[in-house]
Amino acid sequence: MVEVSTPVRWLLRLAATGYVFFLVAWPVALVVRQTFADGLDNLLATFDDPNVVNALELTLVVACWAVVINTLFGVTISVLLVRYEFPGKRLLSALIDLPLSVSPVVVGLALLLVYNGRNGWFGPSLEDNGFQIIFSTPGMVMATCFVALPLVIREVVPTLTEVGDDQEQAARSLGANARQTFWRITLPSIKWAVIYGVVLSLARSLGEFGAVKIVSGNVTGSTQTATLMVEAKYQNFQQGTAYATSFLLILVSIACLVVVALLRPKHQ
Amino acid sequence: MSIDVSGITKKFGDFVALDDVSVSLPTGQLTALLGPSGGGKSTLLRVIAGLEAADAGRVTIEGVDATRLPAQKRNVGFVFQHYAVFKHMTVAKNVAFGLEIRRKPKAEIAARVDELLRLVHLSQFSHRLPSQLSGGQRQRMALARALAVEPKVLLLDEPFGALDAKVRKELRDWLRRLHDEVHVTTVFVTHDQEEAMEVADEIVVINDGRVEQVGTPDQLYDEPANDFVMSFLGEVTTLGGVLLRPHDVHISATPQLAGAAEGTVARVLRVGFEVRVNVLTDDGEDVLVVLTRAHARQLGIEPGARVWVTPASGATTVPPMEAAVG
Amino acid sequence: MTSALAGVTTEAAGPASQEGRRPRRARRATPKNTLTRGAALGLGITMVWFSVLVLIPLAAIVATASENGWSQYVDTLQNPQTWAAIKLTVGQALLVTAVNVVMGTMIAWVLVRDRFPGKAILDVIIDVPFALPTIVAGLVLLALYGPESPIGVHWANTERAVFLALAFVTLPFVVRTVQPVLEEIDADVEEAAASLGASRTTIVRRIVLPSLTPAIAAGAALSFARAISEYGSLVLLSGNLPFQTEVVSVRVLSFIENGSTASAAALATIMLAVALLVIVVLDIVQRRVSRRG
Repeated sequence: MVEVSTPVRWLLRLAATGYVFFLVAWPVALVVRQTFADGLDNLLATFDDPNVVNALELTLVVACWAVVINTLFGVTISVLLVRYEFPGKRLLSALIDLPLSVSPVVVGLALLLVYNGRNGWFGPSLEDNGFQIIFSTPGMVMATCFVALPLVIREVVPTLTEVGDDQEQAARSLGANARQTFWRITLPSIKWAVIYGVVLSLARSLGEFGAVKIVSGNVTGSTQTATLMVEAKYQNFQQGTAYATSFLLILVSIACLVVVALLRPKHQ
Repeated sequence: MSIDVSGITKKFGDFVALDDVSVSLPTGQLTALLGPSGGGKSTLLRVIAGLEAADAGRVTIEGVDATRLPAQKRNVGFVFQHYAVFKHMTVAKNVAFGLEIRRKPKAEIAARVDELLRLVHLSQFSHRLPSQLSGGQRQRMALARALAVEPKVLLLDEPFGALDAKVRKELRDWLRRLHDEVHVTTVFVTHDQEEAMEVADEIVVINDGRVEQVGTPDQLYDEPANDFVMSFLGEVTTLGGVLLRPHDVHISATPQLAGAAEGTVARVLRVGFEVRVNVLTDDGEDVLVVLTRAHARQLGIEPGARVWVTPASGATTVPPMEAAVG
Repeated sequence: MTSALAGVTTEAAGPASQEGRRPRRARRATPKNTLTRGAALGLGITMVWFSVLVLIPLAAIVATASENGWSQYVDTLQNPQTWAAIKLTVGQALLVTAVNVVMGTMIAWVLVRDRFPGKAILDVIIDVPFALPTIVAGLVLLALYGPESPIGVHWANTERAVFLALAFVTLPFVVRTVQPVLEEIDADVEEAAASLGASRTTIVRRIVLPSLTPAIAAGAALSFARAISEYGSLVLLSGNLPFQTEVVSVRVLSFIENGSTASAAALATIMLAVALLVIVVLDIVQRRVSRRG
């Protein structure tokens, strides 16, 4: 192992922590401090606002749906990609990562073009049958699903590969069918990876902004999520509310990170 | 016959793992599938277990055509080289797995698990997780797990391959004794000829996807079908154009026997109680001779000495490679 | 979080316990269909959802952009405001990527090789930009670099604000791709080099950096892709001033809001093409690494 000399080590340490401090730690700390500039009044006033409560509820509903859908989809795709061979597998596994590098605005536009009720590809016929997607919760769930799509898969695939299929074969030779093997053997052995994936997806889903802004219509009190509300309140010079809502979002995302950080070393 | 395999062919891409293999494995016996790595023996075992589907051929287990049966319906016990323990279950739960799948009554499962853990000497570990066991203990647990469902046959894929030499030897003796107790038809794969010779009632030698010979350990050693079997089962040397075992070479300091080849001792190596001598004959053959230390001392063998070598009477000899291939 | 970002290392690992089983390796070389009926059904359902959610909508963008042929792209790109946005976005994204390559590698080094109190906290903070909502990221940066800055730095509504926002949201990428690779570099190799008389700088330059290059490249590609597509963190911070701080995403959004869907789709298609390019680059890097590993 290369031992760097003490001055160099201090220099590197200082540069690394300094960069992270000025870019992330200090700004985040400032927002937390400004939230509590007037004690708890600001926070309490914010949660008295029915529009804020509504936005938080909507955010939670949309995020939960997106996480559930992405978890089911992610675990299924992961098992298929790791345990089976089929034509087009490599293409699929590359495409799965696409949502990570597509701009949220492009995601919003893409969904708009297909599902808007006026001139989208499927939108008008879906609305004729009573399914409104754009400017309504399903569209927001889809936008959130899109941006958080690869997160569960990226956690589960490496674990599934590492675990190998020995245990599954042993289960089969002991008489377990495919369903029993999945529930009793495969799922318990990828449990932690699925949990990490869910936590990461939750953090990402609660915070989605751009894509949801386009497909939601951003109507205060009905289709405005927490992140959209932060923007609106800040631009309306209700900075106290913006800070308080942000504080709540910061709290949740850091809690997600801490959960992952605490769980990971024990189980890997 | 307990297991009948006929005309099994299995390819992985261009690689032919099994080439029209037919073999019958007798009921109640302990059979070894022996051969070098990549020779197809593990694949054959997995085809028998239903973990791999053959491209052609039939598998019959206890008179039932199992060719199209999925692994979970074949009722075979399978033990994997790397144990394949269920990491998230306790030792007792691992052993109980097959019985729970079969929805046996709880009391019956508990009794059976208890009995099996006693059989494999793991009773005191029943509530531990597999990660708290040693390799040998894990493999014994895997064996108990496979035996729990009372399989018609027990298949073991290099069961001791991942263990260190000492544990390996212990488990090998233990498997032999276990088999004598439970009498289930057992097939195990190994690339270690010593292991096969020590444990098995019968050995099937497999190489390059084909069966080279089937027989008891003695038959294989004394009457090898070809040079491959001969050289795979033990050390060989060449003398007078034939293959034979180094301990079957008669060596003397004087030309006693007619037709003996004359040569010079090139190298003498003592390994414990035996002495290994390289003799360079005047015909240019490098012959390895193994003899006891006392015998070597009595003959006064040392580098540079003139000696006469000849196959001992009753020696097993096989024509060399070229002849066998032709 | 590590593996959520570290694309390079996952495939290289592979199953560890398959030595001596030639058939496995041979099977992987010849792709074929091993789907059971249940698995095929699962694949069918997930593919329908994937198409409905991702493939068809993205195809709709490309289709809408191509309705008027190439002229749509030419018209969109010839708009000076759009062109300025592209120049700004690509320029700042490249700059941020360069900074990330240097700082990210340095931070990864410190996290792996250094020991000091509070390192665990640093490790968690690295992931904050990944978990924080982008709009909150903008708000947070505004607190330190906005009009009410306690250190007197007023970068809001300038090009520097764009740089800050992009640097914030892309911070984890290089760190999290380099870190696991650095952890796995064999100390033996470095000691062997040292025993052969290599100096510290030589070891870093000739032994450590080359083995980190694929990871750095992957992290840089991810950073760049994220930077050119960023939207949320810029909303409050950059002011979205045309010709000054307006990035491509904002441009797409204003096209959408003005109802010029075709222009929005054309610009979005170009962004998609870049995203695809990044994925192809990553795939190549990944394959090269796993072949070497």
